[in-house]
Amino acid sequence: MPSKDALAKSVFLCCAIASAAIILAILGFMVALGIPLFRESTFSAIWFGPWAPHRGAYGIWAMICGTFWIALLATIICLPLSLGMSFVIASLGGRRIRKLLGALVQFMTGIPTVIYGFVGIFLLVPLIRQGLGGPGMSVLTASIMLAILISPTMILFFTDSLLAVNTAYVQAAKALGANRVQRLLYVMVPRALGGMASGFILALGRALGDTLIALMLAGNAIRAPQGFLEPARTLTAHIALVKAADFDSMEFRSIFACGITLYLFTVLATIAVRMMARERVAVS
Amino acid sequence: MMRVFAERMVEYLSWAMAFLLCLSLSVFLSYLLIKGLPSLGTELVFGKADPLSVLMGRERVFDGIFPAIIGTLCLVVLSTVIALPLGICSGIYLSEYATPVMKKAVGGLFDVLAGIPSIVVGLYGFSVAIFLHHHFSGRLGPCLLISALSLGVLVLPYIVRSTQTSLEELPAHIRHTATALGATRLQNIAYVLIPNALSGISSGVILAIGRCAEDTAVILLTGVVATAGVPSSLLAQYEALPFYIYYISSQYTNPAELSNGYGACLVLLGICSALFMVAHGMKKRLFHWALYRL
Amino acid sequence: MLTYGFRIGMLLVISLLVSNPCLGGALDVFDGQKGTVKIAGGTAHIPVMKEAAKRIMTRNKDIVITVAGGGSGVGIKQVGEGLVDIGNSGRQAKPEEVEKYGLKMFKWAVDGVGVVVNPANPIKSLTKDQLKRIYAGEIDNWSTIGGTDHAITIYTRDEASGTRAVFWGKALDKGEIVTSALFVPSNGAMKTAVANDPYAIGYVSVGHMDETVAPVALDGVTPTLETVKSGQYPIARGLYSNTKGDPTGLTKLFIDYLLTPEGQQIAAENGFIPVK
Repeated sequence: MPSKDALAKSVFLCCAIASAAIILAILGFMVALGIPLFRESTFSAIWFGPWAPHRGAYGIWAMICGTFWIALLATIICLPLSLGMSFVIASLGGRRIRKLLGALVQFMTGIPTVIYGFVGIFLLVPLIRQGLGGPGMSVLTASIMLAILISPTMILFFTDSLLAVNTAYVQAAKALGANRVQRLLYVMVPRALGGMASGFILALGRALGDTLIALMLAGNAIRAPQGFLEPARTLTAHIALVKAADFDSMEFRSIFACGITLYLFTVLATIAVRMMARERVAVS
Repeated sequence: MMRVFAERMVEYLSWAMAFLLCLSLSVFLSYLLIKGLPSLGTELVFGKADPLSVLMGRERVFDGIFPAIIGTLCLVVLSTVIALPLGICSGIYLSEYATPVMKKAVGGLFDVLAGIPSIVVGLYGFSVAIFLHHHFSGRLGPCLLISALSLGVLVLPYIVRSTQTSLEELPAHIRHTATALGATRLQNIAYVLIPNALSGISSGVILAIGRCAEDTAVILLTGVVATAGVPSSLLAQYEALPFYIYYISSQYTNPAELSNGYGACLVLLGICSALFMVAHGMKKRLFHWALYRL
Repeated sequence: MLTYGFRIGMLLVISLLVSNPCLGGALDVFDGQKGTVKIAGGTAHIPVMKEAAKRIMTRNKDIVITVAGGGSGVGIKQVGEGLVDIGNSGRQAKPEEVEKYGLKMFKWAVDGVGVVVNPANPIKSLTKDQLKRIYAGEIDNWSTIGGTDHAITIYTRDEASGTRAVFWGKALDKGEIVTSALFVPSNGAMKTAVANDPYAIGYVSVGHMDETVAPVALDGVTPTLETVKSGQYPIARGLYSNTKGDPTGLTKLFIDYLLTPEGQQIAAENGFIPVK
C-alpha cells in the first residue's frame, strides 16, 4: 500500500506533466491543422505572398509586416518613457514621489486592454486624423496606445533591475561624492543592463502578441504599411477577423499559419530572455 | 563640461518623461470618468427591467450589461476552478520534488506559455471545439466550457509560478523545522509550507482572476456572442463584459449605447483594479519576485 | 349607455389589444416550448433578429435565443457545419454551398446596399464609373471630383460579408478594391466608421442608414427604401435565413415567425422591405 507521501508525489507529478503537455499540445494542434496549407501552396506563397482570398492567395506577409511595424514602433516609443520613469522611481525621486509613482505604475498593470482600445478609438484616432492626417486608424495610433499599455511592464523590469544593483557599489559612489544622477548613470545602469534588456524583450513580446489594440486602432488593411500614418493589420488581428467555421477552407488554415508564426516568435523571445538571464547571473 | 550637461539632460528628460506618462494616464482616466460616470446606475446594468425581479430570475434584461457581468463572473469562477488545482499541484511539484534539470525544462515551457499571445490560446480552444464537434457530438461547439478551459490554460503559468516562487522563497528554518521533528514530506507541505506561502499563492490566484475577467481575445474565438442573455448552460454561448465594450466601440447605434459603453468600461476597470489592489496588498508580505508581474 | 367615458375606454382597450404584440396571435405558437436557438451570420439581419428574439424570450421564459454576427459567409458555413441552428446571409447561398451542406433558404426581406459618406461631405452623388475608380484607388482625393482637398479614406468589409459580395458584384462590377482600404467587421461598424470620419466612403445596408451617415446617389438614384422597392435602385439583395435541411422544432417556429405579419412588421420597422 503506497504511502500517502508517495501518492501525493505522483499526484503532483501528474499535474506538472499535464500542464507541460498542454503547452506542447497547443503547438501540436497548430501544426496538425496547418499542414494542408503547406501542401497546397508553396511555403513561400504563405509566408511572403499577398492576402487575396478571391484569387486564391493566402499569404500572411502583409500581416507579419504590420505586426513588426506596430510592435517595434510601440517599443521604441515606450523605451524613453520607461527609462525616464524608472530612473525617477529608482533614483532621482524623493521617497514620496517614488512611492506614488510606483503605486501608479502598479495600478496601470491592472487596466484591461480593451479599455485602452476604447479610449483610443474615441480620443486618439480623431486627434491623429485632424492633427497629422491620414485615416486616423494607423500604425502610429496603435503604437502610441500599445506603448502606454506595455510601459508598466518595462518600467517594473527596469526599476527592479536598477534597484537590484548591490547597494555597496552605490554607497561607495555616494561616499566619493557622486550625486543622484551620477550614481544612476555610472554605477546602477551599467550593472542593470542585462535585466533591462530582458525587460525590453519581454515588453516587445507583449507588444507582438497584443490583439485588441491593433484590431481596434490600426485599420486592418490588407497591405503592408508603407508609412506610420498608414493602416495595417497584425497577425493577431488577422486571426480575430477571419472567423470562418470550417476546417476545410484555405483561408481558415492560413490563420493557423499566423498562430504558428506567433508561437515561434514567443519561443525565440523566451530563449533570448533566458540566455540573457544566464549571462547576467554568470557576470554578477 | 559636456559630462555635466549630459547628466543634467538625463535628469530633466527623465522627469519630463515621467511627467508625460502621468499626464497621459490622467487624461485617459479623466476622459473615461467624465464620459462614463453619468451613465452609471441601475439602468446601465438592468436596462428597462426591474432590478429585483431580474435578480430573482423572473425577468430578462435586454438592454443592460447584467448578462455580460454574469457571463464574466461565470467565466472567472469556472476557469479558476479548472486552473487552480492543476496549477498549485504543479507548482508544489516544481519547487519540492523536481530535479534541477526538470525545473529548467518545465520552467522553460511555462515561460513560453506565459508569453504566448492570448489569441493563439483562443485559436487552440477554438480548434479543440471544432475537433470535438466533428468527432464526438454535434452538440458541442464554442461555448462557455471551452472558453473557461482556454482561459484556464492562459492563466496556468501565473498560478504555477507564484506557487513555485513563494514556496522556494520560504526561509530554511521554516522548511526544516517540521521535518526535523519527524513530519513526513507531505505533512510538511500541507501543514507548514503552504500556509506560510499562502499570501504569495493567493496573490497569484487573484492576478489570474483579474486576467480572466479582462481577456477578450480568447473569448472572441471560443463562444462569446453579442446577445445571449444570462448563460443558460455550460454548453451555451454567453455574453461577457470585455466583449460588450469591444462590440459597442465599433457598432453603437445611438449615443445612449455609447454612453453605456463608457459605463461598462468603468465597471470593468473597477472590477480589475479592485482585484489587482487586493493581490498587491497580499503580495506585499513577500519581497519582490520580478518575473511575472505582467 | 354609450357614455363618452365608455367610448374612450373601449377605444383604449381595443387599441391596446391591437398594438400589444404579446397579445398578438403570432407569438402563441411559442407557448409551452422550450429550448435554444443559435443564430449567426449576416450583420444586416442583427437588429431584426434581436427584436424578434426579445419578443419571443419575453413571452416564454424557457426559450433562449443567441444572436451572433460574423457576416454571411460565416453564417452559411456555421449552419452548414451544424454549429448554429440558423445561418443568416445577405446574399443567396452559392449552388456549391447549397449542395455541400444541404441548405434550405428562407427569404424574409429585401434590402439594398448603398454607398455612404459622412454628412459633412459635400459630395452626395457619384457615377458608377467614379465609384469604381475611387475603390480601385485611381481617384484618391475628394478634390478630383469636386469635394474638399483631402485624401479619400476607403472602408470595406471582409470576404465573409454578403453586403460586400453584393456591392462588389453589382456596384463595382467585380472591380478591384485597393489594398490600403480599412476593414470593418459589420454593417453597424461601417456606419460608425463613416459617421466618425469626415473623409470616409463606405457601403452599408439600406436598412442601416440613418441620419448619422449620408447616402450617395449612384447614377442619379439615391438608395432609399422606396427606390429599392420600386427597383429603380438596382443594387439590392434578399435577406435570407438558412438552415441545414428542413427546419424542425423551435427553429421552424422562429423562421415561420419571421414570415408572419408581425415578423414582417419588425423587418419593415428596421428599414427593410418585407417580402409579404
